[in-house]
Amino acid sequence: MLRNLLLTVLAVCLPSYSYSESITPYFGTTGNAASVGNTWSMDNVLPTPPGLDINGVFYKYTPQKETEADMKVHIGNENANGVGYLWRETDDWSGAQGGIEIRKVIGIANVPRELWGDGSIEVEGEGTVEDATVIYSYKVDPCYDPQFSPSCPGYQLQLPDTETVDIDLYDATADDAVIIATAETDDDIYEDEEELEQDEESEEEKEMRLEKALAAVDELALFNDAFAQNLLLDALNNAIQMNAYYAAQLRGGEYKETVVLVDKELPENKKGLRNGLAQQILHEEMISMQYNK
Amino acid sequence: MLKKAITIFAMSLFPLSAYAVDVPIEGTVQSRCVITTDTPGVYGNPNAYTLTTTPADGGVKPIVRFDVTLADAYYAQITTPTSFDTSPSLGDTVTWTGSTSVSAVSDATNMADYETNKVTFGQTTQYDLTATGSTWFTSSSTATYGGSKAFPGGTYTATVEAVCIAQ
Repeated sequence: MLRNLLLTVLAVCLPSYSYSESITPYFGTTGNAASVGNTWSMDNVLPTPPGLDINGVFYKYTPQKETEADMKVHIGNENANGVGYLWRETDDWSGAQGGIEIRKVIGIANVPRELWGDGSIEVEGEGTVEDATVIYSYKVDPCYDPQFSPSCPGYQLQLPDTETVDIDLYDATADDAVIIATAETDDDIYEDEEELEQDEESEEEKEMRLEKALAAVDELALFNDAFAQNLLLDALNNAIQMNAYYAAQLRGGEYKETVVLVDKELPENKKGLRNGLAQQILHEEMISMQYNK
Repeated sequence: MLKKAITIFAMSLFPLSAYAVDVPIEGTVQSRCVITTDTPGVYGNPNAYTLTTTPADGGVKPIVRFDVTLADAYYAQITTPTSFDTSPSLGDTVTWTGSTSVSAVSDATNMADYETNKVTFGQTTQYDLTATGSTWFTSSSTATYGGSKAFPGGTYTATVEAVCIAQ
């Protein structure tokens, strides 16, 4: 019981190394882009992940002006890939009372971050802008780079770069020794050498046969000597071993009867007598049946 | 006379072959003026006989937002409290003051004059919602107990009433 409890606690305490990378697009908002001034770079505002699209802007500020004064406030972002603005909103405060905050939400159709140039708040006319806040909302697609996760569509397995090694391969066909050995031989020389080799082989064979014959004679003589010696040794051994049997003596003596019957007569077995009588009667009946008595 | 009476009675017993059916008509009207509480108010108690939403006195001003999707169709009427919804038993009169103003708009060009054109009667302020968009109205409320007496201890609640009235 205690062991199971300890194992359970240990299993709970063990860190889990299994995890899953989410490839679901997620959303977020930036901080106040206008916190450092009325112009800002998007690189300082947007987070770093690739695949980020901006889908909305919220801004607010309070204009300070005389009611009679003309004042326009322009807010927007330049187009990084061209002339003009990705979005630009103009608030015309001319003839209006100052001190009233404006709050606006601008919808934007998922424009990639690469297109976003610098943002700004510009005042045209007499007046100032206070307490400006510009917040961008965005969507991030983790699979913008398919290599982000094996679960992303278009993911390709990357093989590690291996160092290329130059190896000098041995070409046997280019070896000088092989070339010489495989070169065609002069036929005349080849025939003379063949005859010479045949003569040498016949002489060697004669010598070998003679040597084998002499060796067989020697081996036979040696075998005969060894066989005679073995016979002599066997005869000696048999004589030694048999003498011990000849010298052995059996222990003699008289074995007396030890079992004595005490009863003088054996009683009749009445049970056996009855059984024998029954068998006799049955036997006689069977005999009589043969004669149809 | 009797004969006629009998004839009429007999005819009335015949079944009527023609009949009528009532066909219903339904429709739904989506409100084009939506009122949302942006910030609930809190009464501060700077002295024994005053309850106020003034931030400097520890209070929070209530903010209400009007979202209008049809221009020139509604008035916004906002009424600051004239009595407590809940409070301990009060033996003396309470003097109420309050006001409402535009604190934020979503369209500077068309809503900037809302504050200038507002109409006030009593504790109620009325705005002509001439543009589509959102408008935030901030109210303030102060209650002073009669004769500078101390408010009895307890919980005090009051309500700002915001109404969207079709023109």
